[in-house]
Amino acid sequence: MSETSAISARARTRLTIEPRLNKNLRWTLTMYCAATLIGTGLSALLLWTSGADVTRAFGALLKGAFGSEKAWIATLSKATPLILTGLATVVAFRAQVWSIGQEGQVYAGAMGAYLGCLVFFGLPAGIYVSLIILSGMIGAALLGTAAAVLKVRYGVNEIISTVMMNYLIVFLLSYLIGGGPWTEISTSVVYQQTPQVPETARLQYLLGSNKLHLGFVFALVAAAICYVLLEKTPLGYEIRAMGHNPVALSYRGTNIGRTMLLVMAISGAIAGLAGVSEIFGTSHRLRADTLYGLGYSGIIIGMIGGLRPLGTVIAGLVFGGLASGSLYMKLLAQVPAALIPAMEGILLLTFLCAGVASRYRLVRVGDGDV
Amino acid sequence: MSELFSEAILISILAGTVRIMTPILFAAIGELVTQRAGIWNMGVEGTMLMGAFAAYIAATMTGSVWLAVMAAMMAGVLMGLLTAFMTATMRVDHFISGLAINLLAGGLTLFWFRIYIQGRAQPTFDGFDAVAIPGLSSIPWIGEILFTQRLLTYVAFAMVPAIWFLLYRTRWGLELRCLGENPKALDIKGINIVRRQYGAVLIGSVMTGLGGGFLLLGFSDRFLADITAGRGWLAVVAIIAGNWMPRRVLLAVLVFALLESIATHVQVLGLNVPHQIFLAMPYLASIFILAGLRHKTNQPVRLGIPYFR
Repeated sequence: MSETSAISARARTRLTIEPRLNKNLRWTLTMYCAATLIGTGLSALLLWTSGADVTRAFGALLKGAFGSEKAWIATLSKATPLILTGLATVVAFRAQVWSIGQEGQVYAGAMGAYLGCLVFFGLPAGIYVSLIILSGMIGAALLGTAAAVLKVRYGVNEIISTVMMNYLIVFLLSYLIGGGPWTEISTSVVYQQTPQVPETARLQYLLGSNKLHLGFVFALVAAAICYVLLEKTPLGYEIRAMGHNPVALSYRGTNIGRTMLLVMAISGAIAGLAGVSEIFGTSHRLRADTLYGLGYSGIIIGMIGGLRPLGTVIAGLVFGGLASGSLYMKLLAQVPAALIPAMEGILLLTFLCAGVASRYRLVRVGDGDV
Repeated sequence: MSELFSEAILISILAGTVRIMTPILFAAIGELVTQRAGIWNMGVEGTMLMGAFAAYIAATMTGSVWLAVMAAMMAGVLMGLLTAFMTATMRVDHFISGLAINLLAGGLTLFWFRIYIQGRAQPTFDGFDAVAIPGLSSIPWIGEILFTQRLLTYVAFAMVPAIWFLLYRTRWGLELRCLGENPKALDIKGINIVRRQYGAVLIGSVMTGLGGGFLLLGFSDRFLADITAGRGWLAVVAIIAGNWMPRRVLLAVLVFALLESIATHVQVLGLNVPHQIFLAMPYLASIFILAGLRHKTNQPVRLGIPYFR
């Protein structure tokens, strides 16, 4: 203690860190802007370790993301599943249900939809597609509900159970498309994939492109629904209240278990929609590599979007842009596209720190104040 | 059936079990210390991955296995510092920061790996050789299963009683366990909580990094993306299934490793089932174990709850 007092005696006044009594919007925004800058700076540092020209690489990244109409279409198409998994995160995390099962739910959604695609084959196109989407969402919602049942009935931590189920579902998919009944039978090589889905099952393309599909509209509608659900409905109130004070909520007469089941079912269904739209909008067959990592990225996008639907859409567009721009960057500057997941991790860490920093303030105190 | 369970296969399965136990055991016993101090490190998977990657770079660049082990431990230190900074200094939610660390590790290792191997065939390395303990290794069955393992395997098993002694028979261990139950008491006593938490996280992360290093050096001659494939999570589950007690954690790791060893022997055993079933089993089993343990928990009360004075 003598050391600090000596320093303060010399400086007369010193800076200390104090908790804020109430949030200050300008300070919070400043902190998040700083987080973005620091995160980008650290990413640039990472890029520099690859030996690439940093400005050239970032230039290529931005140009590939938002540089032309074609780039924008690719960006929107990449953003589609990310917005959906981000929204799934928002619904769960706002209720302080720390589900990281979005990854598995994306697979479950894709598998459920593929099952629907086989079962309902032959129905009129409109009904066929609707049933496929519905079965995908149900498949993923069931997986989400399983975690909620484990939590409510058996007290199993949802983080652990959702992680375990992510692995379980990957093993199931790996069996089904890698030797199991759904495997594409090809004369030459065995690919880890199913045959192509019929034309009638595919999601319509938008704006005359061959990339952007109906899934993007679903993502925007889902964002609007999430906003209304969280901010304007009694269930939304319960979800938010469960996040703040579950004890008070249960005294109010709310069945916490039921709310948690609903939260996980909704969150799962939205994440499942991401899987459906990837399979039936983009790759047109069930395979694992196009789905990999969508769920984990969604968690970051939901968090960086401030756990709000609008913020999530914006964050989803930014990261969708980075994902599509990274391919261009890879071509132009020979930088591996894996830069993007690393960048996501860095940005999440800086945003978490900014979230903490926004609750404190720097105060100048005089000698006598301590 | 007699042919199925012939001696050689059984020995191979059991010896495999002991080998598979090693990395998970390092991580589980190390993270037990961290968790006892009230820090729920969810970044075990990422820390392990970074350990494996650092070991790969060191092994292929220097050709020395022991330098690779050092590199894996250094990676553990760095990841531990990051974890401790987020959880003890910034007091961010432990789950979310751990998740960020996992994602960061997944991205960083893949990025650097792609750069490292750009434009050439992936360099390989020579991993650990088995070390037969003189005398003991000539015992039939037991010798082959237990005493012709890699050196670090013996270290991993020796860590179990060592950590037990540290936690239950030293003053430092008592204070560390108190940190997970009632940090305020330590704070009042004038002990620096944050510093203790850093220490606990570093012990866990160094051992996790070491486990990652063994995963690479003991099983493989090359690096793969996501090489840990959930073993870090299994370590976390082993702690929960082991009810935060060293001996039971060891038992849980044994069961998980046995299942994985059976999965790798499915083709030899000639079982007509998809091998994915056995790979999925540890994850399925852990869910059931967790569900069954509902009321008998020994979990530190303040586990995962940031401490504010």
